[in-house]
Amino acid sequence: MTNCIEIKGLCKSYGDFALKNIDLTLPGGSILGLIGENGAGKTTTIKCILNLIRRDAGEIALLGYDNIKEEQLAKQDIGMVLDECFFHDTLRPRDVGKILAPVYQNWEQGLFRDYLDKFGLPEKKLIKEFSRGMKMKLSLSAALAHRPKLLLLDEATAGLDPVVRDEILDEFLGFIQDEDHAILLSSHITSDLEKVADYIAYIHQGQVVLSDAKDNILDSYGRVGCTAAQLEAIAPADVLRVRKGAFGAEALVADRAAFARKYPMLLVERTTLEDIMLFIGKGEEK
Amino acid sequence: MTGLIWKDFMVSKRTVKAYLGIMIFYAAMTVMGMFSVTFVTAFVSVILIMLPISAFAYDEQAKWDRYAMSLPIGRSRVVGARYLFTLLIVLVSLAFALLAGVAVAVTGKGDLMEVLVSALTTLAAGLLIADVLLPLCYKVGPERARPYLYALVFIPALGLFLAYRMGIHIDTSWLDRMAQSSPAAVLGLFSLPLLAALALTFASYLISCRVAAGKEY
Repeated sequence: MTNCIEIKGLCKSYGDFALKNIDLTLPGGSILGLIGENGAGKTTTIKCILNLIRRDAGEIALLGYDNIKEEQLAKQDIGMVLDECFFHDTLRPRDVGKILAPVYQNWEQGLFRDYLDKFGLPEKKLIKEFSRGMKMKLSLSAALAHRPKLLLLDEATAGLDPVVRDEILDEFLGFIQDEDHAILLSSHITSDLEKVADYIAYIHQGQVVLSDAKDNILDSYGRVGCTAAQLEAIAPADVLRVRKGAFGAEALVADRAAFARKYPMLLVERTTLEDIMLFIGKGEEK
Repeated sequence: MTGLIWKDFMVSKRTVKAYLGIMIFYAAMTVMGMFSVTFVTAFVSVILIMLPISAFAYDEQAKWDRYAMSLPIGRSRVVGARYLFTLLIVLVSLAFALLAGVAVAVTGKGDLMEVLVSALTTLAAGLLIADVLLPLCYKVGPERARPYLYALVFIPALGLFLAYRMGIHIDTSWLDRMAQSSPAAVLGLFSLPLLAALALTFASYLISCRVAAGKEY
């Protein structure tokens, strides 16, 4: 099976910020969640994938096509929802259909209308009258109406209420039922990714600091709550990051079971993606 | 590409409606004899040729460019769509001038040739402005390109005014002699600036493609 995305050694420098040697693989039939703080490099990575910015080094293959040499072929099978709705306020959903129909070879006007109906979007209403949730649903309808194989979603669920987010996440899960389909989902809402992602890549200061199957991460990583004195007794090699506060300390461990065996007096709990982000973003090495 | 041209027409619809009000006002003034038809057709040509420039502003507001450049059509086609929109506007303006000219000729209130010559000249000037401004809009954006628009319009006008004040008179007697020539010769001559502007449009398109290709979105 062809990987839907293969990124090798991607580098892009802006002077004060640089993406360094990004390697990512997204197999078909799965969702890769891209997490990271603001300015960590998630959007820059997606822009490189879409060839919106020039990379300094590396290779990107989308659905088996080179993303620059075979850009148009690759993009015919890609649907994208970027962090904003890019359709003019003065347009209506039916206009969006007319604009995009000649752009995509596989565009299906009927399917686009079906999605509009499914998401409850009136065809003739001005986009400026839409809520943010409606705009994102419109973007998603436009992204799906040409039956893409790969969806690129940059903060597509940001700013949406839990009900709308859940509705959209269900749509994503339905989309990857086909083994040839895949989704790259960049999001700050780690709980969404815990719900739907198969793989997680965490970008921190322009580098991938964690990349693994989500279940592996959540099953093996752990959070240890302890006192400062107990933390001192832990070997530095046994913890990844630590956070110290006025009332105690906590540590992130990579192998929860092994840690529990070695330090039976300390309680080690399951951790969340948000915890991992906080440890890496705000914690320190022991 | 047709989708993007359609998009430009759709987003320009409200501006056209607003201009329509002004045009109706001027048309009424023309019927009342306060303006000549040539003035109105020239005015319409200039207004319409500004639509592609306005389209950039609308795109910038919607941050459309990033989306458009992500579509599977390539950057040169995105640029090409804007230029085709511009050329369609030129055609619409010419058609309007032709209709207005025929209308005044039929009703005996004016001269078809005069209307057409006026429209051809103003369209050439308008298209020339668009030829310069479109690459600038791609390069620096519509907001920062606006001062160049003012410069393009006002510097030649100021130059002519100063030349007049300095006593430099441009010999326009050839225009009177042209009146003796055949309509085809007159139209042919006055089509030349527009044809030159059209040739420049192609050069302008190539420059815009180069700018868009090197730009990061």
